[in-house]
Amino acid sequence: MTEVSIEKLTKSYGNARAVNAISMKIAEGEFISLLGPSGCGKTTTLKMIAGFEDVTEGAIRFDGQDVVNTPAEKRDIGMVFQNYALFPHMTVEQNLAFGLEMRKVPKPQMRERIAKVLDMVQLKGYEARYPRQLSGGQQQRVALARALVIEPKILLLDEPLANLDAKLREEMRVFIRDLQRRVGITTVYVTHDQAEAMTMSDRVVVMFGGRIAQIGSPTDIYERPENHEVAEFVGQVNLVEAKVESVGEGTATVTSPLGNFILPTKISVKPGNMVSLALRPEAIELSMATAGQPAATVLASYYSGALMDYRLKLDNGDELHAQTFPVNRFAEGDRVALHAPAERFWLVGVAQ
Amino acid sequence: MSPGKTKGIGPYLLIAPAGLLLAIFLVLPYLNIGVMSFRVPGQGTPYGEGFTLVNYARFFADSFYIWQVVNTLWIGFLTTAICLVIGFPVAWQLTRPNMRFRGLAYGLVLSPLLVGIVIRSYGWTILLGNNGLINRTLTNMGLIDAPLPLMYNALGIIIALVHVFLPFMILPIMNGIQGIDPSLEAAARSLGASRATAFRRIVLPLSMPGIQAGCILVFVLSLSAYVTPSLIGGLKVKTMAVTVVDALIDTFQWPFGSALALMLSVTGAIIVVIFGRMTRMKWKVA
Amino acid sequence: MSRPFLTGYCLLIYAFLLAPILVVVGASFNAGAFLTFPPQGLSFRWYVTFFNNEVFMRAIRTSLWVAFVTMIISGVIGTMAALFHVLHARRSKDVVRIAMLAPLLLPEVLTAISLLFFVYAIGIGTQNMVGMIIGHVLITLPFVFINVSASLESFDPSWDMAARSLGAPKLVRFRRIMLPMIKSGVIGGCLFAFIISFDIFTISFMLKGVGTSTLPIQLFDYLRTNFTPEAAAVSTVSIVLTLTVVIISEKVLGLRIHRF
Repeated sequence: MTEVSIEKLTKSYGNARAVNAISMKIAEGEFISLLGPSGCGKTTTLKMIAGFEDVTEGAIRFDGQDVVNTPAEKRDIGMVFQNYALFPHMTVEQNLAFGLEMRKVPKPQMRERIAKVLDMVQLKGYEARYPRQLSGGQQQRVALARALVIEPKILLLDEPLANLDAKLREEMRVFIRDLQRRVGITTVYVTHDQAEAMTMSDRVVVMFGGRIAQIGSPTDIYERPENHEVAEFVGQVNLVEAKVESVGEGTATVTSPLGNFILPTKISVKPGNMVSLALRPEAIELSMATAGQPAATVLASYYSGALMDYRLKLDNGDELHAQTFPVNRFAEGDRVALHAPAERFWLVGVAQ
Repeated sequence: MSPGKTKGIGPYLLIAPAGLLLAIFLVLPYLNIGVMSFRVPGQGTPYGEGFTLVNYARFFADSFYIWQVVNTLWIGFLTTAICLVIGFPVAWQLTRPNMRFRGLAYGLVLSPLLVGIVIRSYGWTILLGNNGLINRTLTNMGLIDAPLPLMYNALGIIIALVHVFLPFMILPIMNGIQGIDPSLEAAARSLGASRATAFRRIVLPLSMPGIQAGCILVFVLSLSAYVTPSLIGGLKVKTMAVTVVDALIDTFQWPFGSALALMLSVTGAIIVVIFGRMTRMKWKVA
Repeated sequence: MSRPFLTGYCLLIYAFLLAPILVVVGASFNAGAFLTFPPQGLSFRWYVTFFNNEVFMRAIRTSLWVAFVTMIISGVIGTMAALFHVLHARRSKDVVRIAMLAPLLLPEVLTAISLLFFVYAIGIGTQNMVGMIIGHVLITLPFVFINVSASLESFDPSWDMAARSLGAPKLVRFRRIMLPMIKSGVIGGCLFAFIISFDIFTISFMLKGVGTSTLPIQLFDYLRTNFTPEAAAVSTVSIVLTLTVVIISEKVLGLRIHRF
């Protein structure tokens, strides 16, 4: 079990900074996801942890020991690649044995460990197959087994589910998460899929443009995003304009088209500021319009089985996205009343 | 690739042998031949002391050599054009997704490459000679009285050259066509283009780089071909390459031979560059 | 063009491509003293004549020897260059590629002449086969380079990274991951170098020394003055030799040789 600490880690290509002085601590046995759009520096960060990219500046410590100058093959990491990178000229067993041979593990023990890990990934009996004889999901699990069988200090996964179809992807999410819990290995997982990051991780690191936008539990990230970029990247969100009326101790009283609220805020605001409030679509409840409630007109509705999506138009002209269970259905042109509890609003920024 | 690998001189040791070989035995000899073309012609030796322009003067003064260059270029041009015309449909067919016997057909296209150029030219002498298979067959069938002049002339040389270099036209065109996303043609068809129009407006412009590469390759190869013109043309029709080699091997006129070889190469290179420019402009506009 | 028309047209072209080769093979079995049509019966007499002709037999041995030496030298140098090109060259990538392909792009006759003058200028001369073999290496080098490069291009860098993450040092990675993956490219390139070298004419013609005529040279000299079907028998044996190499490489070793 290893604790990883990253300090002011920077990667420059010429003048461009792919990763810009990021710091984080990953606890023993923690599952952490690096989440962000492509080009945000998440993969570069992972490759620096693995030792496949030179570090321009900063430190990477495994249990306090700086590994920046340790070559990848000496870092004792397990890595799962997006395309699995299984050696095509070796059988499953030979793929798994490779890392153990490098560690000079004696033959009988090797066989034992391979059997154990193959059992873990439910691939017993596939020892003699070649990678090309396996399905995508099976290859994925062999890649996982190959990384785990060497009992590395940390497990690194680079978008490992990106090449699988949607259904298998969801199964593998749960599979990897459960496996990681059982083994208890410190894990860094790179993905651009927010649902993947949310369901699997203990904590999520959201990155934009080489910097960390927010580190927090999935709940923090989703319900208390630090700015509108995080709010917009993780799930769907309405940004509602509001005006600050007065400011209290860590709170602000705001007026908005959806009502007046007292909200907690981490951002310093002054009375008279225009601010953006994040409101998740599923936080909005709809009912038949009655007088005295904030109301809107249904512009369009979309049925997706479990849920209904509505595009609404407020009386001031703003549009809103709401998501409800398809219990009461509304049609295009219906007038609806909006209910959104104050605790579902979150202040994400001061409007320019 | 991983960064650790490019450190140190290790990687450069990999390229060193090839680099040295090319520098010493390709670059230096090419520089040397340039120098040689300015040498004084030798008396009883391949070349004499001192430098002169007399070799080039001799080339420009004698219309025989100029005509021979023109003739060689003309043969090269016709060979290239014929290769393109007969090679394109073959390349096209070989890249059709539903083609049967593709492996066999591909093997046939490549087969001439695996048979030495002397043997292939020899095959053509058997076919084209006055007593050759074609003339004999036609005579025996009573279609002709006297043998058709198929050998010892430009026609024979071009027929054999087309055969020798056709694969060098077909393969680059195939590569070019294979690089075209088949859905582009489908898209054009879905937008209402006929098969012919889709071909003309989409496939042809996009296969231009392959066509260009094939044309340049065949043209350059036919300018410098020695065996085929020598065997088929005999003593009657000589291309520049034959004259040059004979000047060097038989009469040891090294400086003059160098000048002739360079004149032909430079003219050929200029034509290739102009051709490259012209075709590139065309398919940029298209 | 409609499909049947196109197919017919292509069949004609294939016939055109095969014709001279088939004619040579056919002529070698001609029983007559000259190449006459129709042939005067079937016979192996010209093969017997050929196998008893010490000049041709020596030329075949020379060709095989030159091709073998060329293959080894080109194979090693070309593979190393391809490794550099794909794995290490960054800004120099295009330069390396063009330089390695240069012998293929330059007119062979000019290369041959230049090399002839050069070997005399530096004193190697044409007394032995050194100059000729250098020429053969120059011409075959691009083919090895292309084949090995192609197999390296399909080498996924993440395989190397995976091996590193599993703790494999550089040499182990080369031996256990890289080499098995590019083996077919190396062997294919070498065999192709062998075939090309076996058929090279102009370079050999210019750089041949006394008694070092290769088979194509000997055949060419013979054809300038003789018209017996012996030349056809020689040609047929040469074709069969080449075909054997190709069939071994493609069928037995399962290789697909990259010609371009």
